Amino acid sequence: MTVKWIGKRMMMGIIVLLIVSFLSFFIMHAAPGDPAAAFYGGNAQTLNAAEKERISRVFSLDRPVIAQYGTWLAETVKGNLGVSYKEGRPVSTILMERLPNTLLLFGVTLFFISIGSIWLGTTAGMKEGSLWDKGLSTVSIVTSSIPAFWLGILFISFFAVKLGVLPSSGTGDIGGEGGFVDKLRYLFMPAAVIILTHVGIYARFLQESIKVESRNYYVTVARANGVAEQVIRKGILRNASIPYLNYIGMTIPSFVGGSIIVESLFSWSGLGQLTVKAVVTKDFPLLMGGILLTGLIVVVSLFVIDLITYSLNPRLRKGDVR
Amino acid sequence: MLSVRQLSIDIDGKSIVRNSSFSVPLGKITSIIGESGSGKSMTVSALLGILPPGAKATGQALFNGKNLLTVSDKEMTEIRKIHLFTIFQDAANSFNPSVKMRHQLYEFSGRKMGDTIEEFRVKMEGILDDLGLASEIMEQYPFELSGGMLQRCMIACALYMEPTLLIADEPTSALDMVLQKEFIGLLKRLNEQHGTTILLITHDLDIVAEAAHDMVVMRHGEVVETGSVAEVFDCPKHPYTKLLLDSRF
Repeated sequence: MTVKWIGKRMMMGIIVLLIVSFLSFFIMHAAPGDPAAAFYGGNAQTLNAAEKERISRVFSLDRPVIAQYGTWLAETVKGNLGVSYKEGRPVSTILMERLPNTLLLFGVTLFFISIGSIWLGTTAGMKEGSLWDKGLSTVSIVTSSIPAFWLGILFISFFAVKLGVLPSSGTGDIGGEGGFVDKLRYLFMPAAVIILTHVGIYARFLQESIKVESRNYYVTVARANGVAEQVIRKGILRNASIPYLNYIGMTIPSFVGGSIIVESLFSWSGLGQLTVKAVVTKDFPLLMGGILLTGLIVVVSLFVIDLITYSLNPRLRKGDVR
Repeated sequence: MLSVRQLSIDIDGKSIVRNSSFSVPLGKITSIIGESGSGKSMTVSALLGILPPGAKATGQALFNGKNLLTVSDKEMTEIRKIHLFTIFQDAANSFNPSVKMRHQLYEFSGRKMGDTIEEFRVKMEGILDDLGLASEIMEQYPFELSGGMLQRCMIACALYMEPTLLIADEPTSALDMVLQKEFIGLLKRLNEQHGTTILLITHDLDIVAEAAHDMVVMRHGEVVETGSVAEVFDCPKHPYTKLLLDSRF
C-alpha cells in the first residue's frame, strides 16, 4: 500500500514538472523579442537579417517550437540543461552555484515559520476565547497584509541605512571570510521579512483547525471520562495538524514565488534572483533550468508534506480515502 | 448515591431545565425518560461539568457528599477519572479516529486505574473476549469498527473500571434492534454482577421497562414524575406519563 502510494505521488510529481516545463517553454517563445538578438546581447541592434538567421539556424531556433521543446526535454532527461546565452557556462553549473543559497533561505524560513506558527497557533487555539486567541486573529491579518517588498525596504532603511548594523544586500561580505556568521548577517533581513509576513497566517490556520477539532464529539467524550488533558490535547493537535500541513502544501508554490521577490530585493544570490535576471536578458536555457529547479523544490516539498500527512492519517494508510 | 435537588440550567438567559429533583439509588438502574428537547442530556452535561459555553447550572447535585455543580475543576477531573464513567449516544464518533483502539481503551480505563500497559492488555483482552470482541480490534482504528462494536468497547471500559456510577446517555439510539437488546443485556449484567449503579438516559419506554428499576420522567425541562418502574407503569400520575404509556405498542 505504502509503496504504491509513494509510486503514485512520484508519478504525479513528474507529470507536474512536465506540465510546468511545457507551459514555460511555450509562454517564453510566445513572449515578444528575438532569442537570437538576446544571444547577441548589447550589440543586438547591429545585427542584420542574415546574421540573425545564421544564429537562429545554429541554435535550431528556426525549428518549430514543439521540436525545440522535444530536443530540450530529451537533453534535460540526460542531465544536459544547455549553456547559458549570457554567461556561456553550462546551466547546471550556474544553478548549482545558486541552489545552496536558495535552499538555505527556503529551509531557514520554512523552519522558523513552522516552529513559530505551531507555537502561536497551538497556544491560541487551545485557549478559545482568551486574549491569545483574539490577539492572534488580529495580528495574523495585520502581518499577512504587509507586502514583503515594502517591509523589506523598511528593514533596509532601518537596519542598514539608519542603524548600519546589517548589510542591505548580497549573500556574503567581499572582504569577509565567508563563514557562517558572515552568512547569517546577510541572511537575517530576507529571512525575517519572509518569516514575519507568513508566520501569522499559518498560525491562524492552525489555531482555527485546533478550535474546530476541539469541538469534536470524541473530545467531549474523553473529557467527560477523565482522560488526561495532555492526551486529549495530543490527539487534537495530531488531527488538527493534517489540514494545517495541507495548507502549507497548498501555499508552498506561492511561498516560493514570494521568496523570488525578496531574493531580488536583497540581491540574495539564489535561484529567484537568477530566474528574474534570465527573464530580463531572455536567457532561455538558464530560465528553463531555473524554472525546472524551482519546480523540483516545490514538488519535493509537497512530497515530503504528503509523506508526513500520510504517516499522521491512518485513513490514508488504510486506503479508506484516496 | 446521587441526589439532584432544584437543578436549573440556563443557556444565554434561556431556561432549559427548571427545578429538577431526583435521586439515583445505590446499586440500581435509574432511567431518565423524556422526548427530545426535554432537558435529559443537558442534565447529564451539568452533572459531568461539560455544559456548553454560555450555560449555567444552579441547584445541587450531591454525589458521595460532594456537590458536582460547585466542585473545583481539579476535584471534578478526579471524580470523572475514578468514580464516573459515561457512555454517549454516538459511539462511532466517541473515539479519536487517528489513534489505535489499544491506546484509547487504555486511556479510558487502564491508565486511570494506574495499571501498566501490560496489565491493561491482559485484563482488557479477557473483557473483550467476554463481550464477543476479538483482541485484534485493539490494533485497529475506530473507523474500521462498526457502531455496535465501538459501543461494546465503551462497555468494556466500564467493565474494566467498575465505576461508582455509570451514566449512559441514549447509548442505544444509534444501534439496530438486535444490538440494542444486546447492549441493554450488558448494562443489566454490569448492574447485577458488579453492583454498578447506572443512570440510563433514553426516550424509549421499552428500554426502561426492560432494564430500569426506577424512572424519572422529564418534559419541557421539568421533572414531572419519579418512582419505581413498576409503580409508574401501574399507576401513572402525570398526564404526560399516561400519554407516554398509552402510546406504547
